[in-house]
Amino acid sequence: MKTLGILLLSASILCAQEAQDSRERSTARSKVLELASAFANDGFKIRDGYWSGVLEPGKPQILAVNLFAGNAYWFSAAALAPAKKLSVALFDENGRPVDGKVYQEGATAAAGVLPDASGRYFVRLELVEGDKADFCLVYSYK
Amino acid sequence: MSSRSAISALVLLSAGLLTATEPLTKEQIKSAVLSEAVTIPTPGEFFAAMDEQGQPNWTQMFAPKTAGATASREQMALMLGVLVADGYIAVEAQDGQGVKNTGKEIINLAKKLNVSQSVISRGNSINDFAENNDWSALREELEATQNEVKLSMAEQKDKDLVILVTVGAWIRGTQVASDFISKNYSPGLAGLLRQPAIVEYLLAQLGMMPERMQKEPLISEVQQKLRATLELVHTKDRTPLSPEAVNEVSSTMDSLVNDIAKGHKES
Repeated sequence: MKTLGILLLSASILCAQEAQDSRERSTARSKVLELASAFANDGFKIRDGYWSGVLEPGKPQILAVNLFAGNAYWFSAAALAPAKKLSVALFDENGRPVDGKVYQEGATAAAGVLPDASGRYFVRLELVEGDKADFCLVYSYK
Repeated sequence: MSSRSAISALVLLSAGLLTATEPLTKEQIKSAVLSEAVTIPTPGEFFAAMDEQGQPNWTQMFAPKTAGATASREQMALMLGVLVADGYIAVEAQDGQGVKNTGKEIINLAKKLNVSQSVISRGNSINDFAENNDWSALREELEATQNEVKLSMAEQKDKDLVILVTVGAWIRGTQVASDFISKNYSPGLAGLLRQPAIVEYLLAQLGMMPERMQKEPLISEVQQKLRATLELVHTKDRTPLSPEAVNEVSSTMDSLVNDIAKGHKES
């Protein structure tokens, strides 16, 4: 009976932790959607899909994406406290940096590109200042 | 000025030019995350790029497919993807009635796959946006519907079907695009079909499906034809596909879409 009680307690703690994680990611998502809406105002369509996780100092996260020449893209990211400063950068399929525009304000950042060829690209998200935090990234195109 | 316009102006004004940064290492490239929700572009993105490089007559190109009778859940999932791509074509054609009809087909098929009520309510939103000719909202709603269907499938232990929805949408989008490009060839347009990383991803995901599913004749045909397509779209140094390669992609996708939409009496 005692074992069952411990198991139930552990399960409820785990569930509560998962719910907390999910809430935090959804807050990071709200924050990033607020930033992305700025580009939507300029005719960019925001993808419904998003990428979220945990960002740690000195451990950049890299995401593979597929872009089309002719489209313009903005990749927007936001992290929660204690993250203080983020950076977003784009690279081509060989890992070379792609020129474009950048926006950075506290724990939100964005990178805008006009790819000259269709194919695979990489987005690098980096925690420049602050500590381990939840992040969310969305992208917009037009 | 609305608060959204103010944020927009602030962000766009303060955006600066990207400064040179170190290239990614091979290890970093290898460690890159592949997240289906963002790594795979929507048919809408593909079509937007086509709009930039050519002048497709979307009204002419909107020839929606109807799902044939089948009891195969795999085939239904592929067809669901085809219908989602049809929805995007109807949006490009700004055909409100076409969007509504396709939305209805999506919901009917989703019901057969026992997806949740939340997906069904998406059908109403599609109708409302189509009624108001809100094409931008419709693009987002179509993607949201597709994501909701996938989530519902995953929740009801049908996660193996999720990739088939993505595959169906990609095949249909590529069929429509390659047909247009083969008739209006230009290197710029042909470059849009250069998507080896997407085909590799789809093949890898299909390869992870249970063996019993992979043995289904339609799934095995999809795998075989995607492998052949990979050879065609994997060009060196980012060069566009040749006119011959575009024609071959077009006929391969044609036969796949027809087989996906075809009913199977034996099912």
